Formats: sequence, C-alpha cells, structure tokens
Amino acid sequence: MADYREAPLATRPKTLDPNEYFNLSPEQRRAEESRAALRAGLKRQYQLQLNDPHRKELIEDPALTRWVYARANPYPLFRATKKTSLLGVMFGVVPLFALYYVFKTDRDNKEEKIKAGTLERSFSLAS
Amino acid sequence: MLKILIPSMFMLLTTWTSPFKQLWSTILMYSFLVATLSLTWLAMPTDTGWFYINNYMAYDPLSSPLLVLTCWLLPLMIIASQNHLAAEPENRQRTYISLLISLQIFLILAFSATEMIMFYVMFEATLIPTLIIITRWGNQMERLNAGTYFLFYTLAGSLPLLVALLIYHSSMGSLSYLSLTSLPLTCSNLYADKLWWMACLLAFLVKMPLYGVHLWLPKAHVEAPIAGSMVLAAVLLKLGGYGMMRIMIILDPLTKELSYPFIILALWGVIMTGSICLRQTDLKSLIAYSSVSHMGLVAAGILIQTPWGFTGALILMIAHGLTSSALFCLANTNYERTHSRTIILARGLQMVLPLMATWWFLASLANLALPPLPNLMGEIMIITSLFNWSFYTLILTGLGTLITASYSLYMFLLTQRGPIPHHLILLEPSHTREHLLLALHLLPLLLLIAKPELVWGWTA
Repeated sequence: MADYREAPLATRPKTLDPNEYFNLSPEQRRAEESRAALRAGLKRQYQLQLNDPHRKELIEDPALTRWVYARANPYPLFRATKKTSLLGVMFGVVPLFALYYVFKTDRDNKEEKIKAGTLERSFSLAS
Repeated sequence: MLKILIPSMFMLLTTWTSPFKQLWSTILMYSFLVATLSLTWLAMPTDTGWFYINNYMAYDPLSSPLLVLTCWLLPLMIIASQNHLAAEPENRQRTYISLLISLQIFLILAFSATEMIMFYVMFEATLIPTLIIITRWGNQMERLNAGTYFLFYTLAGSLPLLVALLIYHSSMGSLSYLSLTSLPLTCSNLYADKLWWMACLLAFLVKMPLYGVHLWLPKAHVEAPIAGSMVLAAVLLKLGGYGMMRIMIILDPLTKELSYPFIILALWGVIMTGSICLRQTDLKSLIAYSSVSHMGLVAAGILIQTPWGFTGALILMIAHGLTSSALFCLANTNYERTHSRTIILARGLQMVLPLMATWWFLASLANLALPPLPNLMGEIMIITSLFNWSFYTLILTGLGTLITASYSLYMFLLTQRGPIPHHLILLEPSHTREHLLLALHLLPLLLLIAKPELVWGWTA
C-alpha cells in the first residue's frame, strides 16, 4: 500500500474534535457529515488510483490543471485595477520613453562631439 | 546547389512511394545524405563571396550558414517525430513527412533567393506547412488559437512589406540583391517615406519577434508538436533576421533616426521576457520566451547597422537555432514520459535518467552563453557593438545576460536536481534515438567553437 498521510497543515473539522462535538447544533453536524462524505468519496477515488498496481501514468490533479491553465492564459483573468495599471505603465510604457530620452541625448551629444572634432575614441576596435 | 534542391523535391516522391515498413529509415537516410551534401555550401573559395547557380538562386557567406542549418534540421526533425507519429495511420505519417520536406524546400528557396519578391513569396509560403503542422498535430485545444495568432500576426506584418517592395520595384525597376546596394531610395523627410521604412521592416520584426509583437511565439511554440517547435525555433525565426539583414541596405539614411524605438523595444524585451522566464510553469513556454530574449539581442544587433553587429547577429542566430532546438527536444523527452509540460511534475531527473542530465546540462550551458561556445561569441559581439553605439546599453544587456544565466540555471536545477517526486512511478529509460538526436544537435555547436569563420558572414 502506498504511503498516505493527512495533509500536515489541514485543520480537523469541529465534528471530529470530542471537546467541541456537543457544542454544535444538529444542522451543523449534518452539514459537516455531508461534507465529510464528499471528502471521503474524493479520498477513495485518489486512493484507488494511488494503489492501483496497473497504473503507469500520473494521477491527474484537477487543481494543478486549473492552476497551470490559469498561469498559461492570464489575459482573460486580467482585470484593470489601479495596481495593475500602475505596474503596466511603470514596466511597459515609462521605460520605453525613458530609454529613448537616454539614448537620443547620448547619441546626439556624441554626434556634436564628432562634428566639433572633440570625440575621444579610446575604444579602438572595429565596431 | 541543385544537388540539394532536386533531391529534396524528390524526397517528397519517396515519402509517398516507399514501402511503409521502411518509410522512416529511408527518409532519415535520404535527408542525412542531403544534409551532408549541404555542408559543401560552407566552402567559399571565391573572393566575391556570391555563388550563383542560376539567375534566381545564389548563396553567400550570409545565407550559407542558415541554409546548412535548414538542411541539417530535417533529419533531426524526422528522428524527433518518429515516436509520437508511430500511432497514426500510414497516410497521415506520410503527410506529416511531406509537410516537413516541403517546409525545407521553401526555406532553401527563401534563403537562396536573389530577388526580394522571391524571398517574400517563399517567406509567406513557409507559413502554410507550419500552420498545418501546428493546428493538425498539436496536442491541446489551444492549438487552434495558436495557429490563428501565428498566421495573422505574420500576415498582418508582411502585407505592408509586399506593398513596400512593389513601390520600390516600380520606382527603381529592380529588386535584385545585386542592384539593391546601389539603389537606395533617396532620403526625404516625407511621412510617406517613413511609413515605407516601417512597412519594409515590420514583417521581419514580427517574425523575429520583437518584444511588442511577440505574442504569437509562446503560443505557437508551445502548441506545436516537436518537429514544429524545432523548425519554428531554429529556422523560421531566423528568416526574420535574415530578411532584416537583406533589406537594411535600401533603408539606409532613414534608419539612423527611425530605428531608436525598435532598438529600445528589443533591448527592453530582452529583460522583460527574461524575467517572465523566471515565472513560467510550463517548460516549453520557458524555452519559447528565452527564444524571444535571444532574438531581441539579434534584432538590436542588426538595427545598429555595424559590421560586428551583423556578425554577432548571424552567429547568435545559428547558435541559438541549435541550442533552442536541443532544448525543445529535451522538453519533448519529458513530455513523452509524463504527458505534461508542467515543470514541477517532472523534477529530480538526474537520479533517474543521468545520461539525459548530461544533455540537459550542455544545452542549459549553451543557452546561458557559456564560453567558448558560439552563443557567447555572438552575444559578446552584439553587446560590444551596442556598447560602442551607446554606453548606456550596457546596463540593459548586462542585466539581460544576468537574467538569462539565472533562468537557464533555474530550468536546469528544477528539472534535474532535487528529490524525485514520489508520484512518478514509471519513467522509461532514455532511448538511443533521443541520445542520438541531442548529440546531433550539440555536436555542430561544439565543432563551431573550433571554426567560427564558417558562420561569421561577410566580415571575414
């Protein structure tokens, strides 16, 4: 049998804690039991696949599939908030204009120096 | 050259007439023969550099490395596709191979064209087999979206190119490469001339791809089957670079002023796409974004129009073609075992498949431009000529190199090192076919360390 432990960070529902059980109302207990039945069904499916001796492939995790799909297709999930708009402008628009300003002034200064004859060409390799 | 082109055309006939049991081995041997013959293109004894076969086809030190890369890639694509096509019916296998061969024929004609219209027609013609490969044989539903993006981005960029070429032809009379050097359109400050300049370059910038218009590339690379990814990454992107190099001649005086936005987009794209690579969960998507990053450097190197820039761009194109194709083959070995492209699902492979880890190591080192590989040579020449162009580019290119190194290392460490996840219970051992495939990718790269003059281009 493959090794199956509880998820270490998961909390136990209140109905499984003997100190709390009698404080709960019957509706809460019934709701808790139906949720536990659903969870047990999922666990059973997972364990059937985990211990199947003829299994060769990975067990499909739908949460992982959804996460990978969300990471691969971010555009439908994008929402224009103040934060995302600010980030978009800061990383996508401002650098282009800033770099244009930097390169243009640098190259224009170089062109003036060339025209005035004062450019010092210390970098003597072919370009 | 006809000894390579005519056999390639007849390879189409062989695909459909060979007996099915011997189809793959026949085609493989045939394409290896063509690839070996194509190595004769690298020998350039004449002084002029241009070798004319007839009035319409020629090759020179700029196009011969790309031609050899194209011919070398066909056997590699066939080795890579053999496994996933084995389940298909016979006619579909023959169709797939015919698509690959026709792609090679169009690419040979494109790289050896002596006239811009022929180059344009072949440039467009390569889109069709690639589109069919992506949308028919891709593995996920998203392949239709990927095919649409691929086709329409490239077409939207290249229709203005057709108009621009026809304008030039009607005013100058010829679009032959021989006459292009002596017939630039006269410089004027008319808005129409600036639009014409833009129209000439847009197709190649979309194909390269430049950072702002790169959206088709991750989709197309990820959704394509392995042979499609290989040919896209290795050769089709270089069509854009090669076209840009050829058309720069006629664009001359305007380029000094108008190229600034595109150099800036290319350099900023190196950093942005490199950073995106560090956040990817999909292995093929990581390799696709790293392709955009390297091609950004190539675009910047071409747009500054210096001899070293062109040389560096050409070397980086060849080296990146081989490296990127090798990385896609490695990602495919993972995909064939786990049927998933998610990186975290297949980790710690060094313990399970140690020989494949060697290839992962070499390919990752090549990707991060380790000396003495030609990747470094190309990058260093581009970075140096950009530094000469303006000192401040060093910040961007230096940061870009740092980010490239970090995501290449990230990819290697995440797939190879660390504990093996315990949900992986069956990983087939590495096939000899996979080892052969990767050896054939990395061997030319290692051999180019010894004689980079073969791929230097015109500045020999």
